[in-house]
Amino acid sequence: MIGWPKIGWKGRLSLTSWILGTITLVFLAYQWLPIFTLGLLSFSGPTGGTTFPMNGTSLHWYEELWRATVMNDFKPPLVRSSLLALACSATTVVLSVMAAQAMRGQFSGNGWFFYLMLLGIMAPGILVGFGFAIMMRLMGVELSWDTTTFLVQVSWTLPFGFLTMLAVFNRFDKKVEEAALTLGASRLTTFRRITLPLVLPGVIGAGLFGFSLSYDEYARSMFTTGPDATLPLAVMAQLDRQLTPEIYAVGTTTTFFSLIAVLFFTLAFWAMRRSTSLKKSSSA
Amino acid sequence: MDALAHDPVEGAAAPAIARPQLDLELINIRKRYGDFTAVDGVSLKVSKGQFVCLLGPSGCGKTTTLRCIAGLEEPDDGDILIGGKEATKDPPWQRDIAMMFQDFALFPHMTVAKQVGFGLEMLKKPKAEIAQRVQHILKSFEIDVLADRKPASLSGGQRQRVALARAMITEPRILLLDEPIGALDYSLRETVMLELKLLQQRTGISFIWVTHDQNEAFSLGDLVVVMNHARIEQQGPPEEILQRPATAFVAGFVQGNNVFLGRVTELLAGALRIETPVGSFLVPRPLAGPAPMLGSEVSFSVRAELITDVPTERHVNRLSAVCTAVEYFGAVRRHVFERSDSEVLKYDQFGAHAARIVPGQKTLLGWAAEASVLHAGAGG
Amino acid sequence: MSTIRIRSPASYWLAVPAAAWMLGVVVVPIVLLVWVSFWGGRAFSTASPLTFDNYARFFANQTYLKLALSTIVHTATLMAVTGVLGYCIAYFLVMKVKSPGWRTVLFLAFIVPFWTSTLIRAIAWVPFLGVNGVINQTLMFVGATNSPVEAFLYSLTGITMAQVSLYTMLAAGPVVYMLNAVAPQLREAAMTLKATPFTVFRRITFPLTLPGVVIGQVLVFLNVMSDFATVATIGGNKHALLSNLVLLFYEGSQIRAASVVAVLLMICMLVGVVVALRVVDIRRLGAER
Repeated sequence: MIGWPKIGWKGRLSLTSWILGTITLVFLAYQWLPIFTLGLLSFSGPTGGTTFPMNGTSLHWYEELWRATVMNDFKPPLVRSSLLALACSATTVVLSVMAAQAMRGQFSGNGWFFYLMLLGIMAPGILVGFGFAIMMRLMGVELSWDTTTFLVQVSWTLPFGFLTMLAVFNRFDKKVEEAALTLGASRLTTFRRITLPLVLPGVIGAGLFGFSLSYDEYARSMFTTGPDATLPLAVMAQLDRQLTPEIYAVGTTTTFFSLIAVLFFTLAFWAMRRSTSLKKSSSA
Repeated sequence: MDALAHDPVEGAAAPAIARPQLDLELINIRKRYGDFTAVDGVSLKVSKGQFVCLLGPSGCGKTTTLRCIAGLEEPDDGDILIGGKEATKDPPWQRDIAMMFQDFALFPHMTVAKQVGFGLEMLKKPKAEIAQRVQHILKSFEIDVLADRKPASLSGGQRQRVALARAMITEPRILLLDEPIGALDYSLRETVMLELKLLQQRTGISFIWVTHDQNEAFSLGDLVVVMNHARIEQQGPPEEILQRPATAFVAGFVQGNNVFLGRVTELLAGALRIETPVGSFLVPRPLAGPAPMLGSEVSFSVRAELITDVPTERHVNRLSAVCTAVEYFGAVRRHVFERSDSEVLKYDQFGAHAARIVPGQKTLLGWAAEASVLHAGAGG
Repeated sequence: MSTIRIRSPASYWLAVPAAAWMLGVVVVPIVLLVWVSFWGGRAFSTASPLTFDNYARFFANQTYLKLALSTIVHTATLMAVTGVLGYCIAYFLVMKVKSPGWRTVLFLAFIVPFWTSTLIRAIAWVPFLGVNGVINQTLMFVGATNSPVEAFLYSLTGITMAQVSLYTMLAAGPVVYMLNAVAPQLREAAMTLKATPFTVFRRITFPLTLPGVVIGQVLVFLNVMSDFATVATIGGNKHALLSNLVLLFYEGSQIRAASVVAVLLMICMLVGVVVALRVVDIRRLGAER
């Protein structure tokens, strides 16, 4: 089934294929090599610097990470980032499903509403974070990771979840809803029993956006966390002080966690898709 | 072959006989996709200005054959000659063809005028000439008012004309049409079919029309090619296909035939006796070629309108069956019977006679020996 | 008919929480920033008089103006590079890779890094670019140069290199979407109309994918203009672009100056987006044809 990649259908066009293919694969390497290098260097020996040569391999820097001094303890930030991400994920899911469903109702002013949502993606993080911090200062509200940061992070993740749900609803065949309504179900029941299960892949996508966008967010968080840093901010602070392979260890670890989260959501997504698909594959 | 064709002597006079040139010749075309053979040994000769219909069920290979002629698919084996010239390795833009696609494939970002002129632009014609020819063809297809519109704002019938104008403006040798009226409303189809038939006759361009609809194929085609499972079952003028189907498939595919499968039990003077699960019947010997051997498996068919429900002595073939339905179409009354082998038998009664048979009635039907048609493709 | 009545109060109220959130957290702060940028006087309070002084001070400063200019030039460079690169990659993935298995694998290979932190990916470039970094060591190993090239780390070149690896897929993504939407029959029809493959691309495929190109460029534009982290990490303290300036002022407690730069950044971005939105209607995202 997966053989060598079939390239092109006319011999004469294969030159273009080769050029484009080379560009693509070179870029793939270009995109991945730094991450691999990061991972590789995180296993440097105890005397290794921040670039090659590695001076042996060891788990030294991971041990440093675990042992954690007062100055650079990454464990609390990790906990804060994780909790924030979960909260953002849940909030994003709820709000974006509501907002997308509202769009289906074509309420007056929904054009403006759409652009309002987009504003969250387009407005740069530093500006939103900066402005929000000023606002809090003027209002006398104290900045803290679990309140003000949560608020700004959702403003960043929500539009992504919203667009995802919009795309899902656009493809959604509302005839199944109509069928349920004619069978005596109320609108709410239909939404709960018919619509939601069918758009669940989109919901999971929105949740994934909510989680990973929040987990990696730094621009907005920078201005709004107050004294307690999230993980990206702790990394940035450490970067300012001194670049050691310990940073690479943090980077590798957090990347690993991100990928696990993605994998988890993707598996859930596929499981949902398979169980609600109308095309059950029987043997040909 | 004419020996004069290979005469190397310089200055030899051209032969006085005009050699008929073929617009298209397919020689043993074969196309495979992995394990699946889409086209298996298809050979075809299309004379100048001929209307050819490729007819068959989905997946029979007709569209793949068409795409091979266009150059959109490369056959694994075989040759394609367009206008006598070898074109098998030529890409589509170098072939003397034009194509009409099933959903018209109009360029959404170009106005009607721009896309109709596209083919001429590619041929590097001067702008003035392009503008003039575009105007002319838009007028003749009665769509000149649409010149500055984009496809999104056109109706199905209008789009079809634009697609046609776009293809015809390059004056190709062959026009390839892939189910061209399938996307139109039913009421439009008849009109468009007639227009296209007249257009083909007027311009003298060969049309190769792919369809699964027999009514289209038999009313339009000078030559009908029936395909099934990547092969050509039979090709010929419509009357030949309808009256003398060559295989059981063609007989069954074409409307109004009753197909029988059986074994040859007797060889008589001008006929064969064939034993089938529902009875023994007389079938005329084939006009050309050897008769099937005694005991060989054969098939034959009888047209529904050649059956009668009041058989006389000349209707030597008799069959008793139970009527399951009667359909009245005005000019014809179709009776559907169930044979003892559970197959369906159709009997068409033409003319304004009163109904004689009702559903549930067991009737004796008969037909003359000459009405049976032996399928040449079967047997052996 | 569906689970929500058209124009019903329910649809309106369902939108209110999200709208309120965005208004409160994004719109009001931005408006506030604009207001603050006009604050005169010494005290930092809402009673400050309004004046153009802050802007005057900014525009009078040559360094700042040069910075703004180099930001724009840098962003334009990134847009061009990622645009071309992104289109090549998108075209290859959609048109040239025939087997769906390989296509999925390649897509995933490109998309997965996006689920990790851009900060980490930017940091990962440091060991590459430095004097002892991977690139220099490879170049010396291969024999291309004898002494390490210093021009990578702490330079705009290095920043550009890193940002290309971060943002090219933003340019490629929308193009992939639009390329998928071009029906193969359109290209086949053009070929039967005597158009050679390059002409088919130039006259049919590319024009039909233009909206995707524009969206991709807008995404790259927005991200590069507001990307301070890559500039700071790779440029060290030697380089700054407009976004870093905001931070600089903020850390120096020069709130008004920071808000001036913020407003200018916003105006640049608004102009860019408005221009782009006139080319394409993104509200039809995901709609069935």
